[in-house]
Amino acid sequence: MNRQHSNEDQREISHPEQYVFTPPIDIYETDEGLVLYADLPGVSVGSLELQVQDNKLTLLGKVEPQIPEGAHPLHTEYEVGNFLRSFILSGEIVHSEIEAKLANGVLRIFLPKAPKAEPRRIQVNTG
Amino acid sequence: MPIFRWEQSWNPLRDLEREVDRLIQGVEFSVQGIRIPRQYPAVNIFELDHEYLITAELPGMQVQDLELTIANSVLTLKGHRNPPVIDDGDIPEERFRRQERTFGEWQRSLSIPDRISEERLSAEFHEGILKIHLPKLEEELPRQIPVSSGE
Repeated sequence: MNRQHSNEDQREISHPEQYVFTPPIDIYETDEGLVLYADLPGVSVGSLELQVQDNKLTLLGKVEPQIPEGAHPLHTEYEVGNFLRSFILSGEIVHSEIEAKLANGVLRIFLPKAPKAEPRRIQVNTG
Repeated sequence: MPIFRWEQSWNPLRDLEREVDRLIQGVEFSVQGIRIPRQYPAVNIFELDHEYLITAELPGMQVQDLELTIANSVLTLKGHRNPPVIDDGDIPEERFRRQERTFGEWQRSLSIPDRISEERLSAEFHEGILKIHLPKLEEELPRQIPVSSGE
């Protein structure tokens, strides 16, 4: 599998020993709304914070240390840290009906669009 | 009796590094922006008192799509990750606003030292993190040697 997207590229150090990563996402649009997927390995339901403020959706996934204490690292290819990313929502998203689900380290957020008003035919009468 | 050298016996990246070194020698490059092709998945390896521990981030994988095999001191991790679907069908390209995640089949082999109890090897998968436990052989564990006073 060719992993074109490397988390490393976006990793930035916010604290000497604490990494904050930008998780890779997919967004696709359906007739009903937008579906957003984010890869958040190591994040559990209890350690995930989702917040909508004004029109900004912020996700913060906290990752607990995965390794028992006293483990001696022999070989390190990836770093562990928290995930943070925010999105600007368009005006048609119904904030109160946003749904989120977390499974196997992947977050799925459904952002429903407000149903468009049905076009109304205006009767034109002849004078 | 052969002298066991840990550093040499367990360095899954060694061959890759050598290959990269070879590539770099022939190419002029600037350090910024260099992208070394990385093997998937990235792994971390730890040593504990009674075992070695390998971890890998595999978000979106299902346990049934993961396959671990061990033969001749080579541990092979294999799996595939399916992209999301709408109504059991592929999502048309034009519907995507962002596409940053990758999908497909992958495989990676790691050579492991022969001081491992292969029969007691175990693995767990939670929240997209795979952990493989490689228990050390009993005779490798530190042993208390009683000291008598000689009286």
